[in-house]
Amino acid sequence: MSNIPRGVRNGLLGVSLPVYLLLYAPLAIIAVFSFAPSLHHPGLNVAAYGLLANDPQVLAAIRRSLVLALCSAALGTMLGTLMGFGLSRFRPAKGGGFWVGTLPSLIIYLPIIMPSLVFGISEMIFFNYVHQYTGLLSAGLLTMGIAHVTFQAPYVALVVYARLAGLDANLFEASHDLYANGLKSFLYLTIPVVRPALIGGFLLAITLSIDDFTISFFTAGPGSVTLPIYIYGEIARKGSSPEINAIGTLMIATVIGVALLYYVVTRQQGRIGQTSAA
Amino acid sequence: MSGLTPAIKKPRVNAERLATALRLWIAAGPGLFWIILFLLIPSAMLLAIAFLTNSDFGSPVLPLSLGSFSEVAGYGILGWSGANFVTLARSLVQTGAATSMTILLAYPLVFFIITRPANLRPVLLLFAILPSWTNQVVRTYAWMQLLNPEAPLSHIAQKLGIIPEHLGLMPGDFAVLIGLTYNYLPYMVVPLYAAAEKLDWTLVEAGRDLYASGTKLFFNTVFPQTLPGLLSGIILVGIPAFGDYVVPQLLGGDRAMMLGSLIAGQFTFSPNWPYGAALTLIMLAFTCLGLVTFRRLTQRMGAGEGAML
Repeated sequence: MSNIPRGVRNGLLGVSLPVYLLLYAPLAIIAVFSFAPSLHHPGLNVAAYGLLANDPQVLAAIRRSLVLALCSAALGTMLGTLMGFGLSRFRPAKGGGFWVGTLPSLIIYLPIIMPSLVFGISEMIFFNYVHQYTGLLSAGLLTMGIAHVTFQAPYVALVVYARLAGLDANLFEASHDLYANGLKSFLYLTIPVVRPALIGGFLLAITLSIDDFTISFFTAGPGSVTLPIYIYGEIARKGSSPEINAIGTLMIATVIGVALLYYVVTRQQGRIGQTSAA
Repeated sequence: MSGLTPAIKKPRVNAERLATALRLWIAAGPGLFWIILFLLIPSAMLLAIAFLTNSDFGSPVLPLSLGSFSEVAGYGILGWSGANFVTLARSLVQTGAATSMTILLAYPLVFFIITRPANLRPVLLLFAILPSWTNQVVRTYAWMQLLNPEAPLSHIAQKLGIIPEHLGLMPGDFAVLIGLTYNYLPYMVVPLYAAAEKLDWTLVEAGRDLYASGTKLFFNTVFPQTLPGLLSGIILVGIPAFGDYVVPQLLGGDRAMMLGSLIAGQFTFSPNWPYGAALTLIMLAFTCLGLVTFRRLTQRMGAGEGAML
């Protein structure tokens, strides 16, 4: 691929730079507006951030978002790992018919392919009826969490499945020959092998939870305003404000910071892995 | 070895298969039942509601009817209106346009990334998908800031005569298209990158040796190899874009209504669950149609090895 004509390479660069610009310009604009609230009064200040730090509603929303993301991701990773493990380990290569092949795949793909609006409204109706007839599951962080686990688990399953699919089946035979039972080989063989996928899946689950608005919006109750729902409400009420810009900037900064940290850590781990392998 | 005991082979295999199936359902069972209970059953309820009657309070009541579907087709108390068809058509056109935009942007971006040195590629890819890790509301709000009538971009467009003097670049169809493209671009970039990374460049060399050049070289050697990635990208972008709620809501306004806003309205401000559920059924029908079509195409390409389904 090195002998792609120089003209084509420059052309690709010429088109791609504006695309990168397009990707970051809107985010940069929010960041600028958060420090320079008004075009008419030039000058930078951090007043918007001061407002945030003293706004109990915002702080409560951040706390709820974090609790929701961490708790749902923990359960979603557990269920997802078991699904990915079960499908990769106990399904014959040739699909295995309806009960072993088609049905589990369909169920796992359902949350992924279903438009999130339909997802959210379905759950809203379900929780509504459950609450009406049993008094349980009133709309709040719990119902949001249940919904989040439902869309996190399949993604984690895919990540874990991809990791295990490349694994030599003979390893399981070997552990069986060494008298490990199912549980032991799961704990001492599967878990160590999927650990990177487990961590990756957990982080993915957190990202999915924090990224979601639509499903959260329809499963939330009056007492469970998380950060995205709070922002949406503020936008609907005010259009724009320095405070929203400041929250947005903090969210963007967090994501970029975490991504860079993750990248640096995995790169170092990769290097350590390489040296120890060599 | 198995040839030595042909008599007992068959029943043992069956018992083994049953045991494997049982193990599968024991391991994957909790997750599968979670999805059945909290998504399959709820969505079945939603679809069932489409065939009920709307009560005065917006909740569905028993007499089974197809009333909600005639409402979907445009028959209301005020006579027939084509508004729903316009909304559906707009959703389809916007989905097609946004998907095309992501293809047009993703191809050069992906080939830019894979023609860089190997150690730079992960970073460049990361920076291409990083914005999608922020919340969708924040991303869409960012475009509200860029496109609103008081922002410089709108003033420039007004000066150039692209839009009338008193209007901004939002709310409207244009803003929705931008918002959808921006939100779903990474969903096109990732599968395309996965396909392009595995590209067999010897085919390109062979094509060049045969004096093919430029577009001919691209469409005969590169494009067919990236087609599986492109098709999964189209599914990954098209489905959520068609059902999107946030973007048309924040950037669209009333005159750029998409199916998502129409559906959500029936469950929020002016509840009419059966009507909303019937609209949902229409959305799902189009989603499935698109999914099945593109899966067929992908299977015909012989792609998707390593996928679970």
